[in-house]
Amino acid sequence: MVTVEYDSVKKAYGETIAIEDIDLEVDDGEFTILLGPSGCGKTTTLRCLAGLTEPTSGTITLDGHDVTNVHPKNRNIAMVFQNFALYPHMTVRENIGYPLKVADVDKEERENRIEQVAETLEIPELLDRDIANLSGGQQQRVALGRAIIRRPAVFLMDEPLANLDAKLKISMRSRIKVLQREMDITTLYVTHDQEEAMSLGDKLVVMDQGNIQQIGSPDEVYHQPVNRFVAGFIGSPSMNFIEVTHSEGQIQAVDAPAAFDVTLDDAVTKRYSGTDEMTLGVRPQYFTIHTDETANAVEAEVEVTEPQGDEQIVEVAAGDVSLTIVAPSTIDTTRGDTVWLTLEDELVHGFDPDTGDRIGDPEEMVATTRASSSAGSKS
Amino acid sequence: MTTKQDTPVETMPYTEPSGLEKLHERLTETGLTKAGVYGALAVFLVWTLFPVYWLVTATLKTRETLLSFPPQWIPVDAQFANFARLFAERPEFVTFITNSVIVTVVTTVIATTIGAMAAYAFVTFDYPYNLDFHLPFYILSTRFMPPIVTIIPLFVIFRGFGLVNTLRGLILVYTMFNIPFAVWMMKGFFEEVPESLIESAMIDGHTHLGAFFKIVLPLVKPGLIASAIFTTIITWNELLFAVILAQSSQAITVPVGLASFVTKFSVQWINMSVAATIALVPVLLFAFMARQQLVRGFSMGAVGK
Repeated sequence: MVTVEYDSVKKAYGETIAIEDIDLEVDDGEFTILLGPSGCGKTTTLRCLAGLTEPTSGTITLDGHDVTNVHPKNRNIAMVFQNFALYPHMTVRENIGYPLKVADVDKEERENRIEQVAETLEIPELLDRDIANLSGGQQQRVALGRAIIRRPAVFLMDEPLANLDAKLKISMRSRIKVLQREMDITTLYVTHDQEEAMSLGDKLVVMDQGNIQQIGSPDEVYHQPVNRFVAGFIGSPSMNFIEVTHSEGQIQAVDAPAAFDVTLDDAVTKRYSGTDEMTLGVRPQYFTIHTDETANAVEAEVEVTEPQGDEQIVEVAAGDVSLTIVAPSTIDTTRGDTVWLTLEDELVHGFDPDTGDRIGDPEEMVATTRASSSAGSKS
Repeated sequence: MTTKQDTPVETMPYTEPSGLEKLHERLTETGLTKAGVYGALAVFLVWTLFPVYWLVTATLKTRETLLSFPPQWIPVDAQFANFARLFAERPEFVTFITNSVIVTVVTTVIATTIGAMAAYAFVTFDYPYNLDFHLPFYILSTRFMPPIVTIIPLFVIFRGFGLVNTLRGLILVYTMFNIPFAVWMMKGFFEEVPESLIESAMIDGHTHLGAFFKIVLPLVKPGLIASAIFTTIITWNELLFAVILAQSSQAITVPVGLASFVTKFSVQWINMSVAATIALVPVLLFAFMARQQLVRGFSMGAVGK
């Protein structure tokens, strides 16, 4: 049983604050993803746990033991680096077995474990090759092997897939997930790729500017983002944000009051009672595109379409408001066409224009998103 | 909507090669470029190697044939006895060689060790006031001044400490002169080693020192060898300080010994050539033995991704 706890962890380099105030608990066996744009402090957070970076203040505990000032070698952790950090002067076998060699495990036991790990990762034929002669994907597996051979208490990964090509990334992604499930090791995983984060994690920790913005399951951060940053960061293409005025269910875009003028459902309107101005957040998937004039719809002109196979991404302009829409590829539209867009009312979000916080009761949101998620998921 | 079509831009589908490019292409086609390159290399080789050839052949000539005109290009009647005669006439030359070997080996070991450790410290750790950036520059700056300007004060200081005419004194001076160079050379190599390798080694169970010896040092071996070779060459060939600081035969090194063949009354050409040839051998041998590492050392980046 290994739990990880960060208590008010801060790291500053002189005036520059890398992480400001991190409070985080990771349960035993949980796959936790630290997610955020570059420079948000996610790697620093991970390195503090590895012992490679010393926090300026705060404590980190492993299973209730304060390890804040413990040398990395004395923490039972393993780490996979973005550049794999394989030892170039050793063979694959030596690399994988290195942690055991340092720990003085006898040679026979070491060889057995190396063979086992190589079997697990399906690389037994590579064992006697030099590191320089491996492809990126093979190096990645060796790095994983070196990390798991120790049977560490905690597994840390710093953007381990960032250096792989798109196809390999997806296959390695599922391999890592299976491996984590089988070994049942508490894992912290850093990435800036929200898609990777959603597909891997039990728990997502969304970070920005040295602070945690939201902690939740992939579903929670997608459907109930606590603020505008999380809403914009999660999801691809990014959520559309429109500055609107609101009066009794009537929504008008500030920059295109004529084109963007729709009435929301009564149930949805309740959420925004008492709000005159807000930032409306609508995911590109939650617009429905019509080629004929439609009531209660946003009128817009098509700027460009990007076919994606089954679906297409359509960039449109409603007055001065640019919107990104994901539409089925069966919609036949081209640059210059006029289209009408209807909203999936229940799935829109309202954000406070000043603080960026989401408006509305989260509990109520859960209910509505659950109810509509079957209808709203993947058109 | 305005688009870029409103202002059409004249574009060429390709760029006409310049006259020089065309000439180069023509020369390459006819094989003249290749011939030119080899020709230039041949001239360069003759220019650099001929003095060595002349030196080595001189060891097999007599004084008369050496100075004869027209010159004797290939020694007829080789005088191998010249080698024996050098040691018969100047037995102290053995001491000179021993001195040189001691001074060179000790200096190389000390300068490379200290240089490597200092370079690693500069590359790896952060110091206040940006010292890790400034200090290496000031260390190197000790090499900017002409060495001769320090000779008088050094001589006075060394005399005070009883270091004149001692091998210790020479080793001290040479170490001082070689460390800046070793620091800079090794700095480049350590910078090539990704920090994550050291971090990874620490996570795998090493202390920082352990990571340095087990992971970093093996990776910078070509650099260590390259800087050792340079230190060796510089030390083995040094004349200026040796001439001033080592005047009695217990501390005289080979370059000073060579200079001593030029006397007030004559120049002992043959003895000098033999001695110079002998002086040439150790460094050449060392460089040849290490040339594999040396080449890797110069190509840097040998450490891998």
